[in-house]
Amino acid sequence: MDIIGGIFKRFRVPRLIILILLILLATLPLYAPGYTVILLTAILMYIILTVSWTIFSGPTRYISLASAAFFGVGVYTMAILGKALPLAAIISIGALVSFILALFIGFLTLRLRGMYFIIFTFGISELIKHSLLWWETNMTGTVGRWVVRVDHDQVYYIMLAIFVVLMLTAYFIRHSRFGLALKSIGQSEEAAAHRGINVTLVKVVAFAISALFMGAAGAIMATRWAYIDPRIAFNPLLSFMPVMMAIFGGMGQLYGPVIGAAVFTYLAEILMTRFAYYYMLIFGSVLVLAILYLPNGLIGLLQKWRKRGTAEQQAST
Amino acid sequence: MLTTILDIVIGGLITGGIYALIAVGLSLQYGVGRVLNVSHGEFIMIGAFATYSLYVLFGISPLLSLVICGPFLFILGFLIHRTLFQRLRDTSESIDVFEGNSLLASFGVLFIIQNLALIIWKANIRGYTYLVYPVNIFGATFTTNRLIVLLFAVVISLGFYIFLTRTRLGKAIRAAAQDPTTAALSGVNIKQVLAICFGLGALMAGFAGPLISMIYQITPTMGMEYTIIAIIVVVLGGLGSITGSLIGGFILGLIGSIVTHFDPGLSLVAYYVIFILLLLVRPTGIMGK
Amino acid sequence: MKKKLLLIPLALLLALSLVAIGCPTPPEETTPPTTAPPTTPAPPAKDEIVLGQAIALSGPYTIGAGVTQVAPNDMWIEEVNAEGGIYVEEYGKKLPLRLIRYDDTSDVGTQVKLTEKLILEDKVDFILGPWSTAMWFAIAPTVNEYKYPVIAPTVDSLQLREMWEEIPYLFIHLNQPKEKAEAMVDMALDLGVETMVAGHLQDLHGIEYAQGVVPQLAAAGVEVLAYKSFPIGVKDLTPMLKEFKSLNPDAAFIFAYPDENFLITAQSIEVGFNPKLFFCSIGIAFSPYREIFGAETVEGMMGAGAWHPSAPYTGAKEFWDRMTAWSGPGGTDWLGNAYCYSAVQVLQQAIEGAGTLDRVKVRDYIASATFDTVIGPVYYEKQLNMQVPGHVGQWQNGEFHIVAAKELATADIIYPKPAWPTP
Repeated sequence: MDIIGGIFKRFRVPRLIILILLILLATLPLYAPGYTVILLTAILMYIILTVSWTIFSGPTRYISLASAAFFGVGVYTMAILGKALPLAAIISIGALVSFILALFIGFLTLRLRGMYFIIFTFGISELIKHSLLWWETNMTGTVGRWVVRVDHDQVYYIMLAIFVVLMLTAYFIRHSRFGLALKSIGQSEEAAAHRGINVTLVKVVAFAISALFMGAAGAIMATRWAYIDPRIAFNPLLSFMPVMMAIFGGMGQLYGPVIGAAVFTYLAEILMTRFAYYYMLIFGSVLVLAILYLPNGLIGLLQKWRKRGTAEQQAST
Repeated sequence: MLTTILDIVIGGLITGGIYALIAVGLSLQYGVGRVLNVSHGEFIMIGAFATYSLYVLFGISPLLSLVICGPFLFILGFLIHRTLFQRLRDTSESIDVFEGNSLLASFGVLFIIQNLALIIWKANIRGYTYLVYPVNIFGATFTTNRLIVLLFAVVISLGFYIFLTRTRLGKAIRAAAQDPTTAALSGVNIKQVLAICFGLGALMAGFAGPLISMIYQITPTMGMEYTIIAIIVVVLGGLGSITGSLIGGFILGLIGSIVTHFDPGLSLVAYYVIFILLLLVRPTGIMGK
Repeated sequence: MKKKLLLIPLALLLALSLVAIGCPTPPEETTPPTTAPPTTPAPPAKDEIVLGQAIALSGPYTIGAGVTQVAPNDMWIEEVNAEGGIYVEEYGKKLPLRLIRYDDTSDVGTQVKLTEKLILEDKVDFILGPWSTAMWFAIAPTVNEYKYPVIAPTVDSLQLREMWEEIPYLFIHLNQPKEKAEAMVDMALDLGVETMVAGHLQDLHGIEYAQGVVPQLAAAGVEVLAYKSFPIGVKDLTPMLKEFKSLNPDAAFIFAYPDENFLITAQSIEVGFNPKLFFCSIGIAFSPYREIFGAETVEGMMGAGAWHPSAPYTGAKEFWDRMTAWSGPGGTDWLGNAYCYSAVQVLQQAIEGAGTLDRVKVRDYIASATFDTVIGPVYYEKQLNMQVPGHVGQWQNGEFHIVAAKELATADIIYPKPAWPTP
């Protein structure tokens, strides 16, 4: 309760809205038609990927393309352990394995900057995929695994729970000394080191925390996909999507990636169903126009409106 | 034994030549313009399909298509940079923000081009056979078309390198790559140079496309595969280094060829292992600073 | 100021979730609530049959989906509607078809989600289904849960068929690796193949198929000189093919998808690898294969599964004429088009035969009846189609003929395969 109280103290006004929103989301399966829950599960999955990507990449400006690796590790944990252990245990293990993998990748990439870091993380993800393919072909003798099926309401609630924990974590990181340290690393790594920040540790831990949630999301999402193989679990699109969604939403605020991922996923859903043959054409045009006219993402637009609103208020008084 | 070695080496060089060619264009676009152009493969696809259409419909030789597709894609790339990426550059707060924004924009371009190609050429596999005469090199046999691809890839890449190092425009481009502000001060029209750079990247795609269509079958969704290879090679070679991209392309081609000889199942694993090991040893690629 | 700022996005998020809750159904799908009196079980009035299909219209699966499945499905719908629709007895009239098609973007997660959308939100009457084995695997539990019978013409797997008891609503329509492999083994032994090489893709199809063929041939005394695997996306297989060539085998068996099989063909021509029997599984039956390499070059090449318009089945020849006109001579799939078309023929005849749109009844009808289709009289045992037009096909004079099993053949086998033509 203290934790929630802490948040509410900071934002007195929106606490009611947060509460209403949470209650709405939590009771959704009771009143909304079945597909709404499924769609929201998918949206939540992308929000989780995007927000956890932003935990590390937002303040530090290291663009990671390893999301697919962490997500895929979660997926495979569920596929392998699905029948052996209870759901909560598997999700925790998936999260933990992703966390450890991220620690490892984090230490490997310490010397890499900018583009080299981006593509290295991408390469790691692809390497895991191709190695797993080779392993499954030559060692287990089959590619592709069935995943235990879980009722979609249950998946939704677990996704929602991960989302809530993630938002709290992201919030506290943002407002802690740890978050400040991350930010100063983004501004200048040398200066941060001079100020006595353990740059290596902060970077790697942040990277691993972001991987933790991706792994958890992958583990639970796998149960909806029913059948997986390395190309499905480590689909490179899963690495690119969080980056695009975060930029689309705007990274300056905590809610930017949330809005970015939600709008992005919902828009894609509408286009691939209503305009199936022109999905990419329209979606591509929207991306180009959005980035041309909203260089700071959706929240840039919101802030502009907000400014205009206050300016008009001032003018009228 | 000698034949086997020749087989592996020349085979590797052919694949490597294509890798080098597609990487050089991307290297220029990122190295100078800071645009990580993920739609690079789509430009290659346009070149490949244009060549296919010209050959099948009008009987125009794929080698002639090189000089048609190249300039056409140059103009397309130039215009896209002027209308899209230059505006992004102007509106983005910093170069970091611009890199992110241009990545998103080039994804948009990728989607648009691929969808248009699916509408124009339909969801089908295309291809044609051209110059498949076998040539014997000390017992190792190759077809003429693959050797021509190797020859053109090397000539075009070298020509491009000479252009960058010996001509006035090339020198202006390199100056802009190193320090845009000083270059602008010393009278270089930086906007023009950036657009030309992006156009030149597309030009290389316009050369690679026809060559690829000569030896592989083509589909409207083929682009991503080549983009990924190009990105890997660019980083392997060192960002912005044309020489690095050339070397990186040939190294990857050769290694792929050697590994395929022993276990084809590991050929793609080998690419990524080499890539990751090299970056661990040299964090800025083969020729990076 | 900053606190107030937060209000806007939160409100937006709220609005978004309200939108998601409030308008999940597209406006045109708002069917009036059924107010049938409890005494009469008569179904609500209906003036069309709604079909749903989520399939790859973008991404890497687009090509296979487009060539093999989308074209025959579209042609069938147009044909049925030209006749006024499908006659459904419980309504006493013909109901035209309407297709809701979504793009699954070649992504399994999206496929599952959109199939659920078709079922839960669009409430379609029947599902036509996606393209490729992995996609069918992924939706199998879903269609089963909601009791939607589906007939899968593009699935190729031992694993799925072993689960038949758990998934009574999924009918496997395509001939499967086990039978195809047996026919191939018989054929190879008949031809007197003594040595062979094999290569397969690192993929369910490649592995299962190779496992069905290679050990059997080895057990029958055929010497396996080389047995290799390769990954999707490989760009140069000449080293492997040169090794194959140096081993000089009687036969080569490749189990892979169109991309790799086309590459292997091109590079085999290059290195001059020309075994007496040259088999590549998927994609060889595509007309584009003949268009790209030329009819003379592909003469004698063998591919997996086979169908030919001259086979003695109702409407086979007419179907092929229409299909060729629809897709163009360079856009057809000699195997997959017939299978995909016959799958929807089965659905049509099942609706007509059961006289209802009740999916459980239609499912039971499919499971028990025999259907007259362009691939012959189809019937299912353990939800597996028992009717097979052919197991191995071979290009002969620009047509893909059935050459195995023997009793199904529409042409004599060409063996040894002629040399690659010299240009």
